[in-house]
Amino acid sequence: MPSMLQDTGFDARIGVYVCHCGLNIAGVVDVEAVRESARFLEGVVVVRDNRYTCSEVGQKGIADDIKEFMLNRVVIASCSPRLHEKTFRTLLEKSGLNPHLLEMANIREHCSWVHYDNHEAATEKAKGLVHSSVARARLLQPLSRTKGRVVPEVMVVGGGVAGISASLYLGGMGIKTYLVEREPSIGGHMAMLDKTFPTLDCSLCILSPKMVEVAECENIKVLSYSEIEKVEGQVGDFRVQVRRKPRYVNEEKCVGCGDCVAKCPVKVKDDFNRNMGTRKAIYIPFPQAIPPAYVIDDQNCRYLTQGKCKICQAVCERGAIEYDQTSYVETIEVGAIIVATGFQPYDPRGLPQYGYGRFPNVITSLDFERLICADGPTYGKLKRPGDSQVPKRVAFIQCVGSRSVASGCRGYGLDAETGSSVGATDPKAYCSRVCCMITAKQAFMVKEKYPDAEVYVYYIDMRTAGKGFEEFYQRGRHEGIVFLRGKPGEIEERDDGCLRIISEDLDSGCILDLCFDMVVLAQGLTPPDGLVEFAQKMNLSRSEDGFLMEGHPKLRPAETAIDGIYLAGCVQFPKDIPDSVAQAGAAAAAAAVTCSKESIEIDPLGPVIDEALCIGCKLCEMLCPYGAIKVELTDKGPKAKSIEVACKGCGVCGASCSTRAITMKHYTDSQLTAQAKAILEVV
Amino acid sequence: MESAQKKDVPVVTVLDPKFKYEVAREPGGENIKYCFQCGTCTSGCKVAEFDSKYNPRKIIRMVILGMRERVLSGDFIWLCATCYTCHERCPQDVRIPEVMNALKNIAVREGYIHPAFRAQAELIAGYGRLYEVDELANEKRTDWGLTEIPQGCPEVAEIYGITGLADLLSGGAGGKL
Repeated sequence: MPSMLQDTGFDARIGVYVCHCGLNIAGVVDVEAVRESARFLEGVVVVRDNRYTCSEVGQKGIADDIKEFMLNRVVIASCSPRLHEKTFRTLLEKSGLNPHLLEMANIREHCSWVHYDNHEAATEKAKGLVHSSVARARLLQPLSRTKGRVVPEVMVVGGGVAGISASLYLGGMGIKTYLVEREPSIGGHMAMLDKTFPTLDCSLCILSPKMVEVAECENIKVLSYSEIEKVEGQVGDFRVQVRRKPRYVNEEKCVGCGDCVAKCPVKVKDDFNRNMGTRKAIYIPFPQAIPPAYVIDDQNCRYLTQGKCKICQAVCERGAIEYDQTSYVETIEVGAIIVATGFQPYDPRGLPQYGYGRFPNVITSLDFERLICADGPTYGKLKRPGDSQVPKRVAFIQCVGSRSVASGCRGYGLDAETGSSVGATDPKAYCSRVCCMITAKQAFMVKEKYPDAEVYVYYIDMRTAGKGFEEFYQRGRHEGIVFLRGKPGEIEERDDGCLRIISEDLDSGCILDLCFDMVVLAQGLTPPDGLVEFAQKMNLSRSEDGFLMEGHPKLRPAETAIDGIYLAGCVQFPKDIPDSVAQAGAAAAAAAVTCSKESIEIDPLGPVIDEALCIGCKLCEMLCPYGAIKVELTDKGPKAKSIEVACKGCGVCGASCSTRAITMKHYTDSQLTAQAKAILEVV
Repeated sequence: MESAQKKDVPVVTVLDPKFKYEVAREPGGENIKYCFQCGTCTSGCKVAEFDSKYNPRKIIRMVILGMRERVLSGDFIWLCATCYTCHERCPQDVRIPEVMNALKNIAVREGYIHPAFRAQAELIAGYGRLYEVDELANEKRTDWGLTEIPQGCPEVAEIYGITGLADLLSGGAGGKL
């Protein structure tokens, strides 16, 4: 019986349902008028309007109509299909109709919400959208979904605290997890922090046990010093190409004794310590690094750049040094991917008025963490970089690189070393969320170590929303930290090395002209390096702020628009450690749901190729962004073939085909033409 | 009301909520509503360093609050030296010197012209420039083979007439300041 109903040989019997969505739609669009305008359209047998079509009552009404009026097509005019297409497809399926015989007209996001100020025009547009949906619905074809396999393994990209937490959750559930990290060690920015707010826990003391747990978990494989090269496939069945960079040290053999470091003759700036202090060309980023193996910096190693030295190989008793290692690509199959690639601190050279890079005693928050850390270049003594003196007056400036819609460096920012224009990025419009508390913590730490030091914080607004945050901020005030409302315009370096700041103190109304020994710029958090290219590889969207876009800002914060790819940590938006860990848990749970399925239904939205028309011109093959269509030589000559598992149904091949040999399932030319004609008739 | 208050604490009881929109419609004033009172403008303002009467942050605050008369009738909006330091640094791209121009334009239409600006406008109306070209200057020019500069410039006066500036100046409109 159901199969007869949807047989395309039958005349279309369409039910049209116009949703009020409370007042979301009905507050703007005249829903009754839209309903009536559809009543006598060709093929329409029943029209109704509902306060909430998605409600139990609304759905039951549709199910009853399908039976009573023998409907074989359903048009629902409501919200975006992204919200409820699944709901209604399931309803059709339960009522015995093929789920692809549903058509949705988006009269909320595309109509009532954007045209809230013109009710009449919005109503006309809604009519047009409904008419076009009816026109397309008449031509809809039943489609059968295919089943895809599920590889019950997950890849986590990025080994900061978010990636580590996600991996541990997954490993704990018994799911095989690959943790990919581009640096030689996992740990991320959290490993560089001295303490965490508001508890003042030692950052590595709480992170390193988790790192050790990762190393010991038999379900987790750490791929350090590796980057994602290419991602293919879809949910349940991704093929990820990972480029493994050479360490030149055998991870299995190295025990981290450090003999090589003692003898290595090459000293370079230590990037882990923010270029303050030095390290050798063979090094370990920090003592607690995971994997606990050394790595050779091939840009600076004397043997690898000049062909002679080999001292480390000579002193290594375990024969772990392997100069002949090369980079290679490993292909890994996983069912889900968690992206946790973190953030990049804002480079204040984009705001030359603050002199970062020109004045040695102007540093950033992250520089400060390394300076005050026991394992940092000064062994925890707060010695200012200019002359290694302990500063007596310290200023912090908030919102450096955040909360600014104006562009920063307008072409006059020059690099101190090279004299060339700095390619620093513009400041960001958003609030980076963590800097207020980072500064509250750092100001407190200065007072804690040097009670006689004078500490001033220049701010626009102090944002201390979070558990225990406001209390911590008040404690700082009690300790004698002076908070000044008013952002300084510039920093001037006097001849004696002191830093002069003129500012307006908004609370007293005075202009303050003060001198400091050191200034810390509370740098904002920006999207990580290379995120644009990475997002392209994964086909992920970015929000206006440059971070990766979540599936839904409220309800799918750890997911993306691509099924099977999830987000954790700062790559979605700046957040603190507990929020990153919480999001990692959500992402891990979502990935585990995917991996627990035996198979995944794939929407049948690919191309159908008419071999008689195809001339094998390869245009589709060249244009397909997913490599999902290939021209193969058959006995009738070269013909295009679709690779279903790789296809995302974008339609580029269908639109570009010069002989119209390609028809996109569910978006055929005749369906789209009918839709366009119908909307033009109303307009 | 006024007498009961201390002179240095102004009490404002009436605000004009439309004033900020009026300024935002004026060329140069478009971004005024972005201001979040961070104080960067005043921090680097060379005029504010010399004269506390001029505080760009406070002027913008008063506009956003809607202290229309107080802002337009005050002489402080005329004090901006248009060095554009604040314009460069303002994180919200408020373009403060141009906001000051917008305010001056509104003020002039309302009949508030700073005496210094009135004097300059009158000089330009008469001579076409800010100073008078005397005969000696023209004699020198002739010696050097340059053409003489006309001493008056009726075209400028004509522009004053067309734009309505002549009426504003002569109608006693500038007398309010």
